[in-house]
Amino acid sequence: MKRSTRILLSILLILVVYIFVFFAEKYMDPFLKRILNTGFIYVILAVSLNLINGFTGQFSLGHAGFMAIGAYTSALLYMSPENKLSNFFMEPLISPLDQIQLPFFWAIIIGGLMAALMGFIVGAPTLRVRGDYLAIVTYGFSEIIRSLFNNLQNITNGPLGLKGLPTYTNLWWTVSWAVITIIVIRRIVDSSYGRALKAIRDDEVAAENLGINLFKHKVLAFVVGAFFAGVAGGLLGSLLMTIDPNSFSILFTYQIITIILLGGLGNITGSVIVGIGFAFLMEGLRFVEMPMNIFGITIPGILGMRMLIFSILLMITILFFRQGLFGTREFTWEGLVRLFTKRKVKQQ
Amino acid sequence: MTEQKINQNTKSKETVLKMEHVTKRFGGLVAVSDFNLDLKDGELLGLIGPNGAGKTTIFNLITHVFPASEGKIEFLGRDITKLKTDKIIRLGIARTFQNIRLFGNMTVKENIMTAFHAHLKSDLFSAVAFLPNYQKEEEYIQTMTQELMMELGIEHLADYKSTSLPYGLQRKLEIARALATNPRLLLLDEPAAGMNPDETLELNELILKIRERFKLTIIVIEHDMKVIMNICERIVVLDHGVTIAEGTPEEIQRNPLVIKAYLGAGDEDA
Repeated sequence: MKRSTRILLSILLILVVYIFVFFAEKYMDPFLKRILNTGFIYVILAVSLNLINGFTGQFSLGHAGFMAIGAYTSALLYMSPENKLSNFFMEPLISPLDQIQLPFFWAIIIGGLMAALMGFIVGAPTLRVRGDYLAIVTYGFSEIIRSLFNNLQNITNGPLGLKGLPTYTNLWWTVSWAVITIIVIRRIVDSSYGRALKAIRDDEVAAENLGINLFKHKVLAFVVGAFFAGVAGGLLGSLLMTIDPNSFSILFTYQIITIILLGGLGNITGSVIVGIGFAFLMEGLRFVEMPMNIFGITIPGILGMRMLIFSILLMITILFFRQGLFGTREFTWEGLVRLFTKRKVKQQ
Repeated sequence: MTEQKINQNTKSKETVLKMEHVTKRFGGLVAVSDFNLDLKDGELLGLIGPNGAGKTTIFNLITHVFPASEGKIEFLGRDITKLKTDKIIRLGIARTFQNIRLFGNMTVKENIMTAFHAHLKSDLFSAVAFLPNYQKEEEYIQTMTQELMMELGIEHLADYKSTSLPYGLQRKLEIARALATNPRLLLLDEPAAGMNPDETLELNELILKIRERFKLTIIVIEHDMKVIMNICERIVVLDHGVTIAEGTPEEIQRNPLVIKAYLGAGDEDA
């Protein structure tokens, strides 16, 4: 298939998605819309973490930390000064943050850039360690961010968090950012840079002995991944209307890792499908946390039961589908065509 | 054949690799001791010695997998002793590994294409936006990879997973991948290991062919004497990190020290 045909088909697909968004924004049930928004935010998070964990093979647990930075940076930029004043009643917000108000788009971008900058600052010294060590160091970073945000009363409002954030996030934003994330990361992965990243994942020594600068490429994956995590954090803040440091704990990173493992490490298609599915399951499984009556036995509602189900799902996946539900099969237009032509042959 | 070899040596006198008093100590163990080498352009040097003699260590020192304890290494007149591995490779040294190190999740073609990345000029942005400058480079990588696979006769395997190939072909692919970095100096670490006699013969021809075709200077570490004695013009023999002999294949075969190192050690063991 020609490159131009592929691009045309992709543009058509994106158009179809936007037509759906148009009607969804108009007629869809707000509850369903909220789930979809969360789903697309999960997609951004999963695809960006997949670049670091799946394609570059650097097991990072710092995604929630990058999200927190993006969420707080953008929230402090798009909130109105009055809104900030009502939030910061313990200690006033430092100047000039208390006066600034930027449009949502720029606030999100700057949030992403701040996360990317942190990605660089964290990545530069820590990417010299590998495997388990990197996981521990990035987890440590994420926890440092959390406790820092809990204590920076005059910037983050501490454990009180920020409340009453304006809800700018809608499907237009989440879908657009998800599309941008998917395109950018797919393009990176398919390019010469992507081959270098995958080479580092497969064999660092061999990659280095082909003249690939390990450090530069690892940091690159980290920075790009952190940027999109920051963006997702910003979008999530405005969707939930409230953020506090403890909502960006290791549990959040754990959820995203569940998504990319279920979808397959190094599989963007898997991350996208599972990401949206995850959001629906999270809502759909709410009933397991409610008090239940089974055969006359009353079980009180237990919070966190949903995560238990996901943990079991994850264990089953790792035991029986080592490469995730989708393995290494990526969505391609050629693959789609092949799928249909095969069916036709069968019909004849 | 010998005339040709001599001609080549006299024609181009440029030193490609120069190692002076290179020593490597791992704690108390002296892996390589006072190693000296002056490698001329186009030479094919054999590096032999019993197991643990320090042959691979010398390769690791050249490509700075670990730093030398003492001494100096020069490549094309430039001091590379302290340069980092990837930089050294980009200057024009390529290597293969004793235990094959292919990118297991990639196809044969992707393995080779990856090796072109080191010389990629386009930045990440032009790669993501698929700008004309990157497009041109990607096309160049595609055609060069195709050519390289044809040259080594592995083009029919392009879309196979690299680790699914039989051993001999994996070695060949590793050589192809090393060549893709556009080296002046190629370091082959036991390329014939695990090959059957037919494959070894084919390997001999391949090494001579790529030397001509890519104007390479080559150092081969090998245990298989059929490789070393047939294709190398000069041989360096190591034992316990010390250079015990140096000369043409004929001289080495007659050298009593070498015979002792190989056979004598064997006698003691028995």
